[in-house]
Amino acid sequence: MREAEQHPWLSRRNFLIESHLGLGALALFDLLAADSLASAPGSESLPLAPRPQQLQAKAKRCIFLFMEGGVSQMDTFEYRPALQRYAGQQMPAFSGTAGPVATLGAARNRVIPSPFRFARHGQSGRWLSELFPHLATTVDDLAFLHGIMVDSSNHAPAVYHTLTGHMIPGSASIGSWITYGLGTENQNLPGFVVLGQGVPAVGGTGIWSNGFLPAAHQGTLFRSGSAPIVDLNQRPGMSLKDQRTELDLLQWLNERHATKRMNASELEARMASYEVAFRMQTEAPELISFAKETDATRKLYGLDDPATEVFGRQCLLARRMVERGVRFVKVLHGAVKPWDQHGDLAGRLPVLCKEVDRPVTGLLKDLKSRGLLDETLVVWASEMGRTPFDSNVVSDKPGRDHNQYGLVMWMAGGEIRPGSTFGQTDDFSLRSAETPIPIRDVHATLLRLMGLDQNQLTFLHAGRYKKLTDTGGRVISEILT
Amino acid sequence: MLSRGPRPKQDRRTRFLWCFLAGAIVVPQPLVHAATDASFNQHVQPLLAARCSSCHSAEKKTSGFSIADLESVVSGGNKHGRAVREGQPALSPLVRMIKGEIVPRMPLGGQLSASEISVIEQWIAELSPEQTSSFKAERWLWPFQKPVKHELPRVRSSSWVRNPIDAFVLSKLEEKGISPAPPASNRTLARRVYFDLIGMPPSPEELEAFLEDSSPDAFEKLVNKLLDDPRYGERWARHWLDLVRYGESDGLEGDILLGNAWRYRDWVIDALNSDMPYDRFVTLQLAGGDEHGSKAWYQPDVQGYIPAGFLRLAPWDLGNLASNELRQSYLDEVTTATGSIFLGLSIGCARCHDHKYDPIPTKDYYRLQAFFNAVRIPLPLNTSGISPEEIEVPYKNKVFGKIAEAKVKEYRERLDNGPEKQALDRLEQALLEKLIAAKVAEGSKEALTAGDVRLELSRKNQKVFTLAEKEKHQELTEAFDYTQEPKDKQALDDLEVELTKKLAAAYVQGSEDPLARFQAITVTAVRAEVRGVDRPSKYFSKEEKEQHRKLTEQMEVLRRRLSRWRPLALTVTTVPGPPLGPGVQATHVLKGGDHQQPGEPVEPGFPSAITGNLLPAALEVDRFRQFPTRGRRMTLAKWIASPDNPLTARVMANRIWQHHFGKGIVATPSDFGTNGERPTHPELLDWLAVRFCEENWSIKAMHRLMLTSNTYRQSAENPATAMAADPENRLLWRFDRRRLEAEAIRDSLLCFSGRMNSERGGPSVFPPLPDGMDDLTRASRPGGSMWEPNENDEDARRRSIYIFQRRSLPLPMMASFDAPVFNESCERRSITTTPLQALSMLNGSLVNEEAVFLAARVRKEVGPEKSAQISRLFDIVLNRPPDVEELRRFSQFAGSLDAICRVLLNSNELFYLD
Repeated sequence: MREAEQHPWLSRRNFLIESHLGLGALALFDLLAADSLASAPGSESLPLAPRPQQLQAKAKRCIFLFMEGGVSQMDTFEYRPALQRYAGQQMPAFSGTAGPVATLGAARNRVIPSPFRFARHGQSGRWLSELFPHLATTVDDLAFLHGIMVDSSNHAPAVYHTLTGHMIPGSASIGSWITYGLGTENQNLPGFVVLGQGVPAVGGTGIWSNGFLPAAHQGTLFRSGSAPIVDLNQRPGMSLKDQRTELDLLQWLNERHATKRMNASELEARMASYEVAFRMQTEAPELISFAKETDATRKLYGLDDPATEVFGRQCLLARRMVERGVRFVKVLHGAVKPWDQHGDLAGRLPVLCKEVDRPVTGLLKDLKSRGLLDETLVVWASEMGRTPFDSNVVSDKPGRDHNQYGLVMWMAGGEIRPGSTFGQTDDFSLRSAETPIPIRDVHATLLRLMGLDQNQLTFLHAGRYKKLTDTGGRVISEILT
Repeated sequence: MLSRGPRPKQDRRTRFLWCFLAGAIVVPQPLVHAATDASFNQHVQPLLAARCSSCHSAEKKTSGFSIADLESVVSGGNKHGRAVREGQPALSPLVRMIKGEIVPRMPLGGQLSASEISVIEQWIAELSPEQTSSFKAERWLWPFQKPVKHELPRVRSSSWVRNPIDAFVLSKLEEKGISPAPPASNRTLARRVYFDLIGMPPSPEELEAFLEDSSPDAFEKLVNKLLDDPRYGERWARHWLDLVRYGESDGLEGDILLGNAWRYRDWVIDALNSDMPYDRFVTLQLAGGDEHGSKAWYQPDVQGYIPAGFLRLAPWDLGNLASNELRQSYLDEVTTATGSIFLGLSIGCARCHDHKYDPIPTKDYYRLQAFFNAVRIPLPLNTSGISPEEIEVPYKNKVFGKIAEAKVKEYRERLDNGPEKQALDRLEQALLEKLIAAKVAEGSKEALTAGDVRLELSRKNQKVFTLAEKEKHQELTEAFDYTQEPKDKQALDDLEVELTKKLAAAYVQGSEDPLARFQAITVTAVRAEVRGVDRPSKYFSKEEKEQHRKLTEQMEVLRRRLSRWRPLALTVTTVPGPPLGPGVQATHVLKGGDHQQPGEPVEPGFPSAITGNLLPAALEVDRFRQFPTRGRRMTLAKWIASPDNPLTARVMANRIWQHHFGKGIVATPSDFGTNGERPTHPELLDWLAVRFCEENWSIKAMHRLMLTSNTYRQSAENPATAMAADPENRLLWRFDRRRLEAEAIRDSLLCFSGRMNSERGGPSVFPPLPDGMDDLTRASRPGGSMWEPNENDEDARRRSIYIFQRRSLPLPMMASFDAPVFNESCERRSITTTPLQALSMLNGSLVNEEAVFLAARVRKEVGPEKSAQISRLFDIVLNRPPDVEELRRFSQFAGSLDAICRVLLNSNELFYLD
């Protein structure tokens, strides 16, 4: 290394040659990562090299569960018996409205109490509706946030606000910020993975976009089936062995090319990226195969029931990913706003809750029993809450409207204080009664739990140091240990 | 930037300061001596003196940074400007550098201990702006002062100076004792300039012709030839489209199509190819269609509506938001974009508070915004991409016009009665029959509902209900449709309950056939029943629903194509004034950027940091003052596109430089302000800006000047390395090797295989998505499919600039190679290296398919002999013959010629331009 120290541009070429690429590339990534160039946030030649946390934190990885469409809080996590008293009546006047609460036909405004029964669960005595019988058994592991606000009651801006910190597309998503800050632990897999059921109708790929951050931080969509990543598999007729032979010739050519050139670290990084890609081809199929999972585990995630199988697979895959050091896994439920119940709340909501209840609970229990929950932050989110009153005037099966002030989220793992709650909405579950929680506070908290400081995780773009939390959020210490 | 949360408190003192400064800009204030600061003197200064003085003493002042006193430390160096942000250690370049967040980490070769760093951090955290306020006279004012044509510096090696650029560059190098790199070989130079100007390499024949030209001006001739090549416009338009956040869908819910954005794209390509003077290029984009003209009735030139599409390209939709909020978000975007694209200023930062670093008060932001307040946005498109308010702008190119006309005719006919329409009709008819049969079979098993009443009422000869009942029902239905009021709903419900009873009675009595009403079912009911592919249907199979979806989607695609070929413009217009409309709304300063908190009203005016005053601008008006709402944008455009504007020419000259030399003279090309990087060669940039105006704003003249300099012709390798003195090559002692952009990679591959479809212009095309991806994009959505089939297969191989830019679905291969997300202005692409890129190159369709055609081409050109094939391949892909060693190794390679092609198409030598 002496030579490299004297001539930083000479970099690690000798090492590359001696170790014969195929074996050495991964170590090369590590080695380059140790380079000061790579350890600075935003290093472009090795953007995903692991970097230390800025602040000490237990959580190393994050699983972010996103329910698209706006989950109705007063039918799931927020017990509002007061609604019974006003059933079928117009909403009493409420004060403090800064703008329209709902988007559609709020004219009718008839209060609909939750059609679902609530009961207390766990040592924390937490109220939950009957729609989450499984989650109820592990509710003491969760920390709830009530009355989170986003700045729009429209889906697209609210989705962007929740997932990128800004209401218009073009900003970096949470996962991108986290790999930008921390890199990722397994260089053979993407650092930021999206497990979805399709490209969502709202937001599209924009919700896992790198925005203004370097492209390496964009989320990689894993699909179901044998080719989970775009272009992962060799073309028909091409074997791994043949590809290796081609790769050897390519690297021989690249090596000669680099030898004649100064400042070759970017050239070497590109050579190394081919070796990682080559390995990914064998590593990723192993990752998505559940062959080695026991029947008990499959059952835990609900793979034995068609109703829970789809989301169960996503959750199990998420666990396999964090196990292998993927930094951020975003798990999307639905692609066409399934949780957007403007009508038939009583009929549709139980179906959706059933789809996710067992898988999510299975995930939490599985992580816990494997000792991974401490190191893994699990977040449940949606883009907004719903109104206590009806939104659909033409249906006999009522549903609820959008409510940008009523989002409920929960977290588990890391330094979350199990069984805690923060924030409270009024008796109608319409808007915050105490301390409102702007979504940026949730972002600040999430970064803090991952060992990142919102003010130090910045990227200079268009004349500003951009942050996930924009003007800065408050870390919600009430739900932290 | 559209955040609406609480804002940090406004700093009144700072605002006052800006007002003060705005007047003082032309004459910078003399430096006020630094105040003493106990904490700095006791703890920080000794630390810096011990660790940094070998390079940053008052005498040495490397990179312009000295640790001599508080003022010099706070003021920072040449590259990062002000090194200390009071109270904000994490944002202070000084801290970022000693922590290694900005490279190179300081001190070079060592590092401060954690406790030393924390001493500095704590000092900054406690530092208040009052303590440094006296330094602010040293604010960064260069961007606001008009550039002057500096005298050419004297240099020792004057023989190296081929044109004035070289004198400026060489003088800096000589100052540092650095020698420029030797000239690149003609081969390298040719490849470089081909990629640079037209975005693809020379063919072996083109290269040969250049190498054989021994005339002294051979390179100049080559540059001219390439500037005349229409591929030049296609290459350079891409740089401009990055800046203007070009996209073809709105990026929000449903990602609705924007309209014929492609006409703006073609306008940019044509403007560049015809070397439209940059001042006119700017004027048309800001004010096209806003001029008064001299024609009868003062009709604006409709052709101006095409470039004015610039004002309509950003992501924006009607949504369900309040109108004021929407309009404000539109105005904010346009104001911000105009500031950063044309003026290189982050004016958008002054939306909620006075700019924290540059002399731009919030008031100036809204004064600038007022120029756009007469903008009228024609109603956006519906989901099929059809606008109820169409603006037709005839095609200027008559040949293209004829083609388009034929296409319009074709698609009209197909929509009317083409095979797709017939197939859909047939299917719907069959489904209708099936539905009726099923309903009849079900008979009266189910209880009657209001739906049955409506069905019975819709029959021509129904006998159950009286005319009065029928009319009453219609009246109540219409009333409720209109009001959506609960009481109207109730009235309708009540009537329907009554009518349902009557209907049931009629069936029981046998006065009406209980099955007859089903014959009145129409295709509307069929369409409602098939909606939602995943929703189970009682009447239709999954396959039937899927078939219906496919056919509807085909029709949808035809409708989109029809509207794309029609001569419609995506643009904005001007609100009509009295007596045709109410005139222009007043613009107010908005407190905290919140449209619900209007403050002081403002008139349109130019940034005070440049004009030195806050006076309203003199607006352009027509001779008879007939159109008082017109002319606002024109007034702004003329002020921006003027040689007197200190920023416009500099900013554009810098952008041109950036693309030739890899980075701008100001490395933050859309931010010339305090937070941006300092120019490496300010005198050179000033000289270029003045020259740009003198040459009648000719962009091509700028290309010629830069490309024919010796600075540009340097090799990427310099044996007399200056790596230690200038590791980032800021002083240009060699050519910066660079990775090709996504577009250049794809276009080159298509060019090698000979399969490029070089058609120019027209609606955008849809290269196929990677295998399996289309399923993911098909989710039932209002706009139909996200990705479309092409009109013909060759369209998939058009140049990359013609790829459809759907905001929610960038083409994965392009996105992985850093093609920007098209939502915000992108002034500089990042260049990342990831395994996903490698995967797409190893396994993706592009390399694998084109390699086969490239191999076939080579076989055809040089026959079956392997070494000849290899030599030809090297010539085509790398513009050089293989050396002996390479020829030997490649000849021994057991794989096919396809495999060899794949290897070369993946090589670093192709991806990195020397």
